[in-house]
Amino acid sequence: MEIPEKAKTHATSGLPVMNIHTEVTPTVQQTPSPPAAPKSRKRATRATRVLALATASAGMLLAACGSSSPTASTSTSTTTASGSDPYLAADLKAGGAQLTGAGSTFVQPVFTKAFYTYSSKNSGVTVNYQAVGSGAGITAFEGGTVNFGASDVPMAAADVAKAPAAYGGVLQVPDTLGGVTLSYNLPGVKTGLKLDAPTIAGIFAGTISKWNDPAITALNPGVSLPSQPITTVHRSDSSGTTYIFTDYLNTVSTTWAAGPGKGKSVTWPASSVGSAGNSGVAGSIKSTPYSIGYVELAYALQNSFTYAAVKNVAGSYVTPSLASVGADAAQKPNVSSTDFSIVNQAGSGSYPISGYSWALIAKKQSSTATGKSLVAVLDWLTHTGGGQDQSASLDYVPLPTNIQTLARQTLLMVTGPDGTTPLLTK
Amino acid sequence: MSISGSPSPGTARRTWRLAVPDRTYRILLGVAGGIFAALLIAFVVAMATQAVPAFSKLGVSFLWGSNWDPAHNHFGVLPFAVGTIETTVIAVALAVPIGLGTALALAYLAPRRLRAPLSTAVELLAAVPSVVYGLWGLVAVAPLFRTTVEPQLTSVLGWTGLLGGPNQGVGLLLAGVILFIMVLPTMVAISRDVLAAVPHDQVEGAMALGATRWQVLRKVIVPGARVGLLGAFTLATGRALGETVAVALVIGNSAHLAPSLKANAGTIPSLIVSSFGEASGTQLNVLFAAALVLLVVGIGVNALARVFVRSVKRSGAASVTVA
Amino acid sequence: MSSISFDSSLDPILSRRAAIQKIAASSIARRKVYSKVAISVCLLCLVVALIPLVAIITYVAAKGIPAWNADFFTQVTKPEGIPNGGVWNAIVGSLIIDGIAVAASVPFGILGGLFLAESDGPAAAAVRFSADILTGVPSITIGIFGYIVWVKTVGSYSGFAGAFAIAIIMLPVIMRAAETAIRGVPVTLREAGLSLGARRSTVARRVVLPAALPGLLTGVLLAVARGAGETAPLLFTIFGNQFFQANPTKAMEALPQAIYTYSSQPYNDLIQIAWGAALLLMVVILVLNVGSRLMAARLRRERR
Repeated sequence: MEIPEKAKTHATSGLPVMNIHTEVTPTVQQTPSPPAAPKSRKRATRATRVLALATASAGMLLAACGSSSPTASTSTSTTTASGSDPYLAADLKAGGAQLTGAGSTFVQPVFTKAFYTYSSKNSGVTVNYQAVGSGAGITAFEGGTVNFGASDVPMAAADVAKAPAAYGGVLQVPDTLGGVTLSYNLPGVKTGLKLDAPTIAGIFAGTISKWNDPAITALNPGVSLPSQPITTVHRSDSSGTTYIFTDYLNTVSTTWAAGPGKGKSVTWPASSVGSAGNSGVAGSIKSTPYSIGYVELAYALQNSFTYAAVKNVAGSYVTPSLASVGADAAQKPNVSSTDFSIVNQAGSGSYPISGYSWALIAKKQSSTATGKSLVAVLDWLTHTGGGQDQSASLDYVPLPTNIQTLARQTLLMVTGPDGTTPLLTK
Repeated sequence: MSISGSPSPGTARRTWRLAVPDRTYRILLGVAGGIFAALLIAFVVAMATQAVPAFSKLGVSFLWGSNWDPAHNHFGVLPFAVGTIETTVIAVALAVPIGLGTALALAYLAPRRLRAPLSTAVELLAAVPSVVYGLWGLVAVAPLFRTTVEPQLTSVLGWTGLLGGPNQGVGLLLAGVILFIMVLPTMVAISRDVLAAVPHDQVEGAMALGATRWQVLRKVIVPGARVGLLGAFTLATGRALGETVAVALVIGNSAHLAPSLKANAGTIPSLIVSSFGEASGTQLNVLFAAALVLLVVGIGVNALARVFVRSVKRSGAASVTVA
Repeated sequence: MSSISFDSSLDPILSRRAAIQKIAASSIARRKVYSKVAISVCLLCLVVALIPLVAIITYVAAKGIPAWNADFFTQVTKPEGIPNGGVWNAIVGSLIIDGIAVAASVPFGILGGLFLAESDGPAAAAVRFSADILTGVPSITIGIFGYIVWVKTVGSYSGFAGAFAIAIIMLPVIMRAAETAIRGVPVTLREAGLSLGARRSTVARRVVLPAALPGLLTGVLLAVARGAGETAPLLFTIFGNQFFQANPTKAMEALPQAIYTYSSQPYNDLIQIAWGAALLLMVVILVLNVGSRLMAARLRRERR
């Protein structure tokens, strides 16, 4: 503690005030203070100053970058003429909003690319989509923490009943179409395997446990299969892809129907490896030799997997592709959220394990501005000239025209808080 | 507000006016401290309120039911509880001997100048984020297990019947080993401090009697640090019980009781991570009940650990850094 | 010890001594061998303990360094098909979330540390117990707690929810470090302040805390290192965001979350970004840890 400098003379007597630290005991050190304190305190103060400087500069950096729009980078958009449908051009002028969606990993690649493209054309709107799995997406949507959900299987009536009353009902909009492949990692066998329904059911139920099982070799004459055990990979999270796959198995195999059945999660045998998300399953297949699992087509192609040609109802072995999935979908034009299964359709070119994916939105939006942006984005997403143009480049099948019409008709039913005025301006 | 020796006018410190009365100060501190207790209570209450419906709807039997099938309303969490115990046992069974050996080396055996840097190096294992552990385990260690470690182990120890099934890489064994690496720094840091704090007169007495270095370690130092070592062990166990992300990535995520060490399994934390997002209704309540059980066990283990370690502290040993 | 040769058969004491010396000679030889073997085993354990550290750091560095380019640090995450992705949004998100968590937990942690250092009754014991328990709670349950308390009540994911969960993790660390640092301040300093008539709060603010500041800073650094690396509390609270988002009331991205999300993607460029982010996170936490130790050591040396 320093003596104040002014008190050099005593107030009344005028005698000089002694500095007790220096004049009384002149032999003592000038400023006796705790030996290490000043240095460490100075160092600490210096440290505090550095910290403050760093925080300030970080703050300035953030302010600078926060003001830059997400379109700072060059966007490589594949949409050419957005003016082909004049309505779509109007969509892009929708008001600003930050929307969140959660759900299916099946659609994640195409969704994130499409929403990124949308934001680069319409900087006021960002759609933050996180792929947490169809089941989690439905739960998040029902919990009201996201604006829309995405699921490869529409919500069942029981789930719809659980949605908040304020939603005034749930609308389910088909948004993309894809195929579920049976991808495998079989070292040394480069040709595509042929598999049929009972064999697939047996593999995933665990009754067919080796690659050179007679059932598999019978379907693939001329291919030398190893005697290794088969490792099956399934989804550990609640998944719409699982639903589509088990829906197929359920339709074609009575033993499967009596056993695991169909659902977003079913009981898999103990030896089956569970991984989270389509990407987790893809990763597991990639890193585990002699494994087989079910993944969406985009993931299979991205990982350069070999996948099986599956025997369809007409008896032909069809590999999943944009054409074969489209052919399967075309066999059932009248899809709705209550009658949505398109697995195992007729037609020699149909790939039997295909399915639509659905976006779930509240019928009565709580905010007009957000609701308008939401339906505008979804309308853009589901139409040619808009989001559907992203599909093919990422190995998804564009929605057939009649389904695009269905999507728009469903979106037209969305209203604002008053419950009557449609938000989609036509 | 008057303070004896009040400063002369020109140097009045602004901050003196902010001095609060002592009672307010004590209340302020009490409130701050109370936040911790309040947080803990709020925490337990939040878990419990979400977990209780599970017990009221399903009774208590789901805790030891072995059929986990939410789609058909079967909520037996036993496979996950057993998986948690199994991974923890593997981790701790590896961590205790190796951790003790490492701690002895760091406290007494390594070259003196290297002791501090090597201690820091071992403790840095605790600084690696758990998601990095999980990724590394999945991408780098699992292939190694699948191609080398598991076949070797099976050929040597297969007779025990614990190593049946295919060599997948991921599974219970890998999860246990990754957990071992994660709890090792905790074990080593506390053990080292406790071992170094054994009173030196006992050590010197033993040496005077002609004991070799190892005899001193084994008969004087380790027994002398017994209580603290027990604390380290329980702390490591508590850490292993609660680890989530790393385990979820490498354990294979099966809902069944693992038939062998190489098989896939699940733990309660990994169950929560993979199914919390989609759980609702009874399944959500069951997840909370499982989390509550884990919490209670973890609290018990931790409380035990702190009691052991603090009793060492209070008995006059040097300050122990509890992780 | 060389023995003068007597006729040992005639002297019972000498023969006894010779017998003991023979036993001792073989015993010491045996014990020395045991000792050497056991010590080598312990040193081997030390080597075994160090192998994973070296392995992880080299592996993550090998995978992550190729991802470190200008885009990585300045661009936001891009979906597959769009080039020039980075983790700028995750870095900013981590800074904001951890910054808010530190700002929230430091005052309470320091005040709590003061409380524990200055009082010793049952209240202090209860507080210490609570803090100890909170450190041992699995971080996934803290994440769920954050979800119930913040996300469900507010109705949306946000950076604040994540900061809340991370703050719960940081609080006990800061409090324990604060208590240790404050207890380390010589009581004579505090008594000197009190004897001059200063109030306890003044003594705390002007004398004790400045003197304890190095220990406090170490504690804060350690808490930041611990909180920044946690993934589980963020999984259910911040949701993630591919776009740049600096507003903590909205869903954000953070480094651990980005690693978790992008590492499971099937696209190699996204996986590489995940490894780059993993390396970045690991380097930051290691630097914080080592830095805090160095600072603590240097300040301890100065004080002596």
